Amino acid sequence: MNGTQIALLAVGIVFTVDAVLLLGLITLKAVHRQRMESHDQRRSAFLGVLSRRVSFPLHTDYIDPKVVNDGAFLDAVIDLRNTMAGPEIETLAGIIDRYGLVKQQAARLRSRFPLGRRLRAAVVLAEMGDESSAPVLIEFLDDREPEVRIQCARGLGRMHHTPAIDAIIERFGQESPWVRSRFADTLVGFGAGAVWSLLAYVRVNHDHDEGNEAVIEAIRILGIIGERDVGPALIDLLHRFRDPELKIAAIDALGYIGGPMAVTPLIGFLDADDWRIRNKAAHSLGEIGDPLANDALRRGLEDANWWVRRSSAAALAGLSEGLEVLHQALHSGDLFARDAAAEALADCGELGRAREREEQGQATDADRQLLGFMTEGALVP
Amino acid sequence: MILDVLRWVGYGIITYFILMQLYLIFLGLMSAVAMRRTHHLNRFGRVGDMLSSQTSPPVSIVIPAYNEAMGIIESVRSMSIVGYPRFEIVVTNDGSTDETLQRLIDGFKLERVRIPYRPDIPTAPVRAIYRGRGSVDITVIDKENGGRADALNAGINAARYPYALCTDADVILDAKCLVSAMRRVVEDRQRTIAVGGNIRPLNGSKVELGHLIRSEVPKRLVPRMQVLEYVRTFLASRPAWSRMDALPLVSGAFGIWKRSAVIAVGGFTTGHMGEDMDLTMRLHRYHIDNKIPYRIVYEPSAVIWTEVPDTLRVLKRQRIRWHRGLMTAVRDFLPMTFNPKYGKVGMVTWAAMFLFEFLAPIIEFTGWFLIPLAFLLGALNVANLVAMLGLALGVGLMSSLLALLLDESFGYFNGPADTARLVVMAFIENLGLRQLTVAWRIRAIIGGKSTRTWGNMERKGVANLGLEG
Repeated sequence: MNGTQIALLAVGIVFTVDAVLLLGLITLKAVHRQRMESHDQRRSAFLGVLSRRVSFPLHTDYIDPKVVNDGAFLDAVIDLRNTMAGPEIETLAGIIDRYGLVKQQAARLRSRFPLGRRLRAAVVLAEMGDESSAPVLIEFLDDREPEVRIQCARGLGRMHHTPAIDAIIERFGQESPWVRSRFADTLVGFGAGAVWSLLAYVRVNHDHDEGNEAVIEAIRILGIIGERDVGPALIDLLHRFRDPELKIAAIDALGYIGGPMAVTPLIGFLDADDWRIRNKAAHSLGEIGDPLANDALRRGLEDANWWVRRSSAAALAGLSEGLEVLHQALHSGDLFARDAAAEALADCGELGRAREREEQGQATDADRQLLGFMTEGALVP
Repeated sequence: MILDVLRWVGYGIITYFILMQLYLIFLGLMSAVAMRRTHHLNRFGRVGDMLSSQTSPPVSIVIPAYNEAMGIIESVRSMSIVGYPRFEIVVTNDGSTDETLQRLIDGFKLERVRIPYRPDIPTAPVRAIYRGRGSVDITVIDKENGGRADALNAGINAARYPYALCTDADVILDAKCLVSAMRRVVEDRQRTIAVGGNIRPLNGSKVELGHLIRSEVPKRLVPRMQVLEYVRTFLASRPAWSRMDALPLVSGAFGIWKRSAVIAVGGFTTGHMGEDMDLTMRLHRYHIDNKIPYRIVYEPSAVIWTEVPDTLRVLKRQRIRWHRGLMTAVRDFLPMTFNPKYGKVGMVTWAAMFLFEFLAPIIEFTGWFLIPLAFLLGALNVANLVAMLGLALGVGLMSSLLALLLDESFGYFNGPADTARLVVMAFIENLGLRQLTVAWRIRAIIGGKSTRTWGNMERKGVANLGLEG
């Protein structure tokens, strides 16, 4: 075989592969189209049957037990479950139970099926939120596949299965940031029921050498839940944290949690060496909105760091006497402090109100100063 | 002797072309492996849970606008309803000479404000800053003209959040694109400094009030060819680079950047014709040089739709500009090429960019003359010539069909007629259009004043894109 023959043979092989690819493309197109159309039709049909069975328990529409293997049936169950409330959910749960859907999906989770099918089983169990699936979902919080673990935690959250809180928190530190953030959503969903376990986790694990990302996330969840009872304990921990990132997270959480007990400690952190801590303290004081912080935040407008000045101005806008301080700050010799005060006055609606008063001929000197300041001169030196 | 040289040069050129196509096929196969997981997550996973999550990191959407009066309101409105829990929109009016600023002021009830704007990245002077009074969290930076990169830098300076989505005024964001892209950030907040998205041409699709109603492959050849190119690039190449942790480019039309990282390298380079590639590569270099752990990733399910050139004239300008950008980047990052210090970025990605992107038009253009000459002088016989050209065509077709197969498996955007049009395009693009793009790239290499300007994109505006003709 000479060179030309080899080249021609190669051409033949290449075009054969092209033809196979083209055939594959056509087949895939046809299969996709048919599968999607058929899936939509069956889902609509199942929705109709299930809806009748739920609304009229004596209805005798026949559902073939084999349909539990059908993705369209599972989608219909999920769709229906997400639109129901109260006793209807129990009726649907009864139907699901009769067809052994939970057992079947649990078996799929335990199988060696590829990721797609196992993930689908986890999603179905999570969406159905049936209490009987709780042990399976807890078991698969240790699954090798992160997305399956996420769905299991989500399912436990949906059914508000409080015994699962410790199981989820236990795994918090070992998880990747992605899984941890999804676990965090679940724990937020548990609300006040999760706070003491989270606080215990923070107490035990803070300032370990291997990094504090999980502890920071736990503190963040405490802030989002906003349960006031944990405030004193968090303040106590805040004074013990060595890692500035932990301090920042705790100060942030205290801003969300609110309450007068956090004000004095937070004012103290306005003098911290780390500007990020001062910045977060100013921000949190603004969230709490206690007038006790007025003087401290006024000093914050003169901070060496411009972020702290900006946060102090924004915080003052939420305080009862803060607006007056901000109007005074428009005369500050520091350009960033002036602009920060102007931004805060605009964001809190004071600029709009000043404009309205001017249009009605009722503008005060402070209004005119503010309106004039907004349009004067270049922005950046 | 001369005939032997001609014959072997001819063989060399064809071999180079085949190697290039095989490299594309390899990337395609690797992309398929990389996308399988994304595919499962999209089908069965619940990435959308991030929508209701209070722990999702906030994002600033930065939009540079220069003479975008025609579609700026629709664009911003469509972006303002993208699915994500917390974001702000920062539009930079880059010294527009039309009514862009006034339309923004009227459309979003903007009022002039002063904010503590800090020029972390130096830009052309900022004239004024406006904030929206309505329901959209929008800030408009009005500055003197400085080009797209300068406008992006000003937007990044004004952004309040740690991540900035830098995009264009003529794009439509898919409802889930921000969630899908930010998912990659949440996966590893410490290391993720940039996330690229999947860009698809919008021409020919049905768009109403800035929303994509139905996607369609355009009937006109010029934009249709670009659909195929975009599929090849965004589905059969970028996922592979991302999987290798060596992505050379986060496209300018959709890139989520960690603000602090962009500021650390000085922002986008003004006046650069490939400022997106330049920034991506500078970020690689900065982090490797300083031994800072990082990752730059691509997310195929983060889809955005953009208007692509509709005529050969505009396409020519765009391609010349892109190749000039590539040339500048190849020059700037030459020390990284085949440099083991830069790991896969230097040894694989940038080496491939040099060999198969930068050199490709030169070698192919040379082949146009040398192969016929070799044939005319008898150095190649008919059978050899046909075999070589057939092989080149067949392998080229293979990479396109593989890309379309990936699109069908993971995209679901095309109806049967659309797929048929793209298959036909895969055959006919080799009969003139591809050669034309090579000629434009050669034009970019030759240079001259006309190749150093951005030129006018001549857009229809996102609201009018369904109207082909």
